[in-house]
Amino acid sequence: MAETMMAYPELRHPYEVTPIHPPGSTTVLHQGRAVTLAETGDGDGLLIRPEDLPRVNGFELKPEGACREGLCIPMNDDLLISRDDGQWFDLAAFADLTGQPYVADRPAGVWSFAEVPATREPMMADAMAPDFAVTDRQGNRVATADLKGKKALIVTWSSW
Amino acid sequence: MPVWQRVYEEINDPDFVLICAAQDTGGEAVAGPIFDAANPTYVQVVDEDHVISSAFNFVNVPSAAWIDETGRIVRIDEGTYAAIHEIGDGEEKFVFGNDVYAQAVKDWVANGARSRFAQSTATVSGNIRKHSFDQRKADAAFRLANLFRAHGWQAKAEQYWEMARSLNPDSINFIRQNLTLTEEGSAGETFRKVVMDYANQGKDYYRPLDLEEA
Repeated sequence: MAETMMAYPELRHPYEVTPIHPPGSTTVLHQGRAVTLAETGDGDGLLIRPEDLPRVNGFELKPEGACREGLCIPMNDDLLISRDDGQWFDLAAFADLTGQPYVADRPAGVWSFAEVPATREPMMADAMAPDFAVTDRQGNRVATADLKGKKALIVTWSSW
Repeated sequence: MPVWQRVYEEINDPDFVLICAAQDTGGEAVAGPIFDAANPTYVQVVDEDHVISSAFNFVNVPSAAWIDETGRIVRIDEGTYAAIHEIGDGEEKFVFGNDVYAQAVKDWVANGARSRFAQSTATVSGNIRKHSFDQRKADAAFRLANLFRAHGWQAKAEQYWEMARSLNPDSINFIRQNLTLTEEGSAGETFRKVVMDYANQGKDYYRPLDLEEA
């Protein structure tokens, strides 16, 4: 095989340097989505407004806890913080509570979260397809829920 | 990709969905022409962040999941080739793939749960890779690196790509994706050493394809 097979060194860093978000903002990555938050709270964790939670990771706060579809995770006192400027939800504390891995680059204001483990239990325990959402080349959203009622074969491949 | 298009056309079932997802940080520039050459009518995804691999705990390509009408996975994580492929000539010739997997897919689409290739929940659950906390953290690091790359922040992109590879050294995807974006390419000396190390450690480069198991 040729040593240079499937080599695209020119594509390693093809982009001009651009800001990731407006000054003072925070970007949160989750399940292939990037959400920029104009407002976060000061502190060791990642304090976001509770109303931002659904667009960040699909969870919303209910009396029984942080819920997504049929799953509700009970809250503890570390998660919801009341201050003079209103309520904050600590996304990092939520990740710690649920065993959700994350990587934060605080100087850049970017946090990247893996999936909440409890949301993957249906796959790990009962072989149910995991939640995913991607965009196809025609710009259509393709998600697990769209496959119900059909047989689906999902094949990964690569140019390499 | 042309082979999967042919399989898709032969199946020709409106209740069958074929999604081919390129795990390519190089994006449309590298995956697009390959898709286009196949004139595909199946669902085409250029998955720069390897979201699909992360969702199904895949560590190599090609890999696949079969999902039935109820959303249950009935096969997962095998070297998913639709044909036998040859690269190079003479002593350098490399032969890989198989011509039986696509036949199994056709049988399943036609016969559903009665297909002998549809596996039980217990078998599928056993075949789903159990990723550690660090391996799942690697996925987060990889996506972070890709975001920095997309904004031209080279040093940080390299930092988090390296973190991803360190946290999940078993990911062939991460190793080869990185090599692809170097002069060496994805099939050079480093790749051959990775394959040899895998074999020496008793690891499967792909999970063995077992089409007799039901």
